[in-house]
Amino acid sequence: MPQTADLLQGTLDMLILKAIVNEPQHGWAIALRIQQVSKNVLQVGQGSLYPALHRLEYRGWIKAQWGASENNRKARFYSLTIAGKKQLVAELENWQRLAGAVNLVLAEI
Amino acid sequence: MLNELWSRVRFFFGSKQREEVDEEIGFHMEREVEANLAAGMSTEEARRQAAIAFGGRERARERCREERPSWSLELLLRDVRFAFRGLARNYGLSLIAILTLAIAICANTTIFSLLNQALLRALPVSRPDELVVLSFAGSFYGHHHSEGGSDEGHVHEFSYPMYRDLSDKNTALSGLIASVPAGVGVTWNNRSEAVSSEMVSGNYFETLGVRPALGRLFVASDESAPGANPVAVLNFDYWKTHLAEAPVEGQTLLVNGTPFTIVGVAAPGFHSAVWGRMPDVYVPITMQRTVQPEWDMLNDRKSYWITLAGRLRPGITLQQATASLNALFLSERRIEFPTLADTTESTRKAFIDAAHLNVDAGARGFSPMRDDLKTPLTIIMGMVLLVIVMAVVNVASLLLVRAANRVREFSVRYALGATNGQILRQLLCEGLLLGIFGAGLGLASAPAALAMLIRWLAHGSDGEQIFTATLDWRVFAFTAAATLIGSLVFSLAPAIQFWNPRLVDSLKQQAGTGKGSSLRFGKTCVALQIGFSLLLLVGAGMFVRTIQNLRSVNPGYETEHLLAFNLAPAIAGYPASGVAPVEQRALDAIAALPGVRAVGATNDEDLVGDGVEGDVEVSGYKAKPNEEYDVELPWVSSGYLESLGVPLIAGRMLNAGDTATSQKVSVVNESFVKHYFANAQAALGQHVNRPGNKNRASVDTVVVGVVGDVKHASVRDPAAPTCYMHYLQQSRAAGLTYYVRTWQAPQTAANGIRAAVANIDPKLIVNDIKPMTQAIDGSIQDQRAMAWLAAIFGGIAALLTGIGLYGILAYSTAQRTREIGIRMALGAQRGTVVQLILRETLILAGCAVGVTIPIALLTARAVRSQLFGVSIVDPVVYVSGVLAICVVAAVAAFVPARRAASIDPSKALRTE
Repeated sequence: MPQTADLLQGTLDMLILKAIVNEPQHGWAIALRIQQVSKNVLQVGQGSLYPALHRLEYRGWIKAQWGASENNRKARFYSLTIAGKKQLVAELENWQRLAGAVNLVLAEI
Repeated sequence: MLNELWSRVRFFFGSKQREEVDEEIGFHMEREVEANLAAGMSTEEARRQAAIAFGGRERARERCREERPSWSLELLLRDVRFAFRGLARNYGLSLIAILTLAIAICANTTIFSLLNQALLRALPVSRPDELVVLSFAGSFYGHHHSEGGSDEGHVHEFSYPMYRDLSDKNTALSGLIASVPAGVGVTWNNRSEAVSSEMVSGNYFETLGVRPALGRLFVASDESAPGANPVAVLNFDYWKTHLAEAPVEGQTLLVNGTPFTIVGVAAPGFHSAVWGRMPDVYVPITMQRTVQPEWDMLNDRKSYWITLAGRLRPGITLQQATASLNALFLSERRIEFPTLADTTESTRKAFIDAAHLNVDAGARGFSPMRDDLKTPLTIIMGMVLLVIVMAVVNVASLLLVRAANRVREFSVRYALGATNGQILRQLLCEGLLLGIFGAGLGLASAPAALAMLIRWLAHGSDGEQIFTATLDWRVFAFTAAATLIGSLVFSLAPAIQFWNPRLVDSLKQQAGTGKGSSLRFGKTCVALQIGFSLLLLVGAGMFVRTIQNLRSVNPGYETEHLLAFNLAPAIAGYPASGVAPVEQRALDAIAALPGVRAVGATNDEDLVGDGVEGDVEVSGYKAKPNEEYDVELPWVSSGYLESLGVPLIAGRMLNAGDTATSQKVSVVNESFVKHYFANAQAALGQHVNRPGNKNRASVDTVVVGVVGDVKHASVRDPAAPTCYMHYLQQSRAAGLTYYVRTWQAPQTAANGIRAAVANIDPKLIVNDIKPMTQAIDGSIQDQRAMAWLAAIFGGIAALLTGIGLYGILAYSTAQRTREIGIRMALGAQRGTVVQLILRETLILAGCAVGVTIPIALLTARAVRSQLFGVSIVDPVVYVSGVLAICVVAAVAAFVPARRAASIDPSKALRTE
């Protein structure tokens, strides 16, 4: 199994938002997607995935709908709201700035 | 932002159900299992791996719940529910705690409402903080007409000319107002009744900022030439209750028989610039002759009868106003000085040099009534505060007992992982719940209690009630603060016990010996309560003794079978010359009634706290230099002394032979003789002269008799030197109070008197007819109310002590089950065990009593002014207080002691 990295506090929210930016997804697919796209580096702790989804939903950044899954099972699909899109943009910007800053420091020393 | 808020609100109400979360997680697991199967695992392995990957499902569910926006509220609700269950499980104890608090808070709210109205609340006028009250220091000579509240250095009555000058010439006040209360007879729709009036200056309402409810109020021009402008303004309550809110504007009302035009009705809630006055009718001060026909005071600089209040001009400070008004006042005094009878240098010093005008802040107005009520209300409030402290201590000790009995519950909770914070939160929750229930119950019952108290205070006194049965925000704030602090205090008491990192050790210790710190705290609580309640019981005893003494005081004559009433012909519209004849006719008519043994009348009502005093010149007596000696000077009818039953010592009483035209005579009492003469015989035949002034001619009388001393002004005061003169031999007529000694029941006699008076003239009003005993009760109403309240609070205190003591002892004996079991196994008798516990309790009570007695003595000394005929070391009061406490303590101790004594030793030894 490849090495996994712990998710930075707060980055999970951003990753979830990013994962559903194009189309609504259910929880399992979100976890899978993050894992696959990160080439198995980022393992979403599934116990913390659902609380995070609920938190985002309560904050109004994503909304959930019951729908049929690819194997025709009832599943909850999450999609971004307008506020969620704004939030994603803001978080991405923030992340870029932070990552850039960290890189700068690392490059210097 | 708005979106987020909206979604929070939405989820707050429609939170997701548990099943939804379950279903979602279930779906996730299924997919995971499918994926694992696809990866080639066996069914069982696939499930196992999926479960491992997901982690704790219950924990995930829990965390989903914690994300809910309503989570903190749910947590609180859970705590409250938990606390509620905790209280309900021990409902007896909770009920006692809630009732304890409710009683304390109800008492507090009720008494504080009265205190607030009497002592704190500003007058219901616009911008009351600008109001000032005027009074003066310095000697004055002439006629002084006071309703009380004045003392050396603060005389609150001024003459009308002085008022006019101060009002017209000052630059510091935007308005200076004058007011004087007076009783008048009012006739409306041919129905006459005696009401209260207030004579006021023209700018009175305008300066106070009172608006009319109907028509107009007075303006400056209404204060015109004396007697020229008979107009009246009605009080709102009077208009409502007596005139049925009739459209009275422009209508005519008879005041003392003179027609007055009603110009308007004052706004509701307004009574007077002086708190405690409850006038029904306002008339211009220039109508004084009509209101008080026997006096002519408007132009007299030596008649001091008007109370003054003013409104500061914006930007003027109290000091500036005092300086400018004082200068004005002194210059007026210099003008008045040459008109004095005595213009020596010493008089000049006292009249001008020592004189000073005081301008005091007066948002609450000048009020003799407030001065009278201040001390009693403060004392009662002090008692209430003691009761509150006791209630809090009581609830604290009850909760402590309860907490001690819940040691096991708390240990289990600790063992299951509860943190100190959670335990603390639970205790605080329980305490606050008790506080809220107690306060709620107390506040809910307060209005009824207040209404009852006010009705009860009003019972026996006449006229309208000065207190209104309204609770206001200050009362609520005060109560809320008291409850909150109380709740915190008592909920923290058990928390301290559990706030202990080495709880297990302390638990073991406690179970073994029953001598834990909580018990010490409990004993301190009990000792405190015993002390407090002894203090209250002693206070109650003092006041009850006072009231007993006041009621049983012998005024010098029999008060049973004596009926008193007023008859004011002036109020029925009789001119001054017609008053005396109609009074004589009334006396004759009543004397002729069957069952009447004697009848008499006086212008100076007995035993109700009033007096008519003045100086006299006595022949053969050489006054000491600067002697100021005032004697009581009642004008009485022949038959008055006999109807009261005042004993004759020498000479004769006044009799039918003394008439308006015969030799003027007087009868003096023993105190009078003692001051002026060698003995009673020496007084006979001497002259007593009442010097005259602008209002009356001098009256020179010959002493024809000497009578024994009787109490006159009130039952509290000793008999004063008195000179009784005949009312027919005076320069003017006066309203008289009649005393009828009768064989009959009071009601029958009263009906007979009413009929006899109506027979003379139906316009005459028989007022305030009541037995003398009732009149005396009415005059000591304040003391009676105080004694009752003190007794009630003393009783509550004793009850609280009993409850607290019982709680602590029940707990401590339960803790000592093992020890008692051993004692009994070693041969102790049941009686010995009971004795053991009783002895310990009584020793505790004894210590508390020992500490409290000196404090009680000091407290009693502080309230001495309110006591009558009872020493502050009165043994009866202290002994009965201590006895009461001991009985309460013994009863409270006996029940747990009995329970302890009925322990079966073999069982007791097996506990723990």
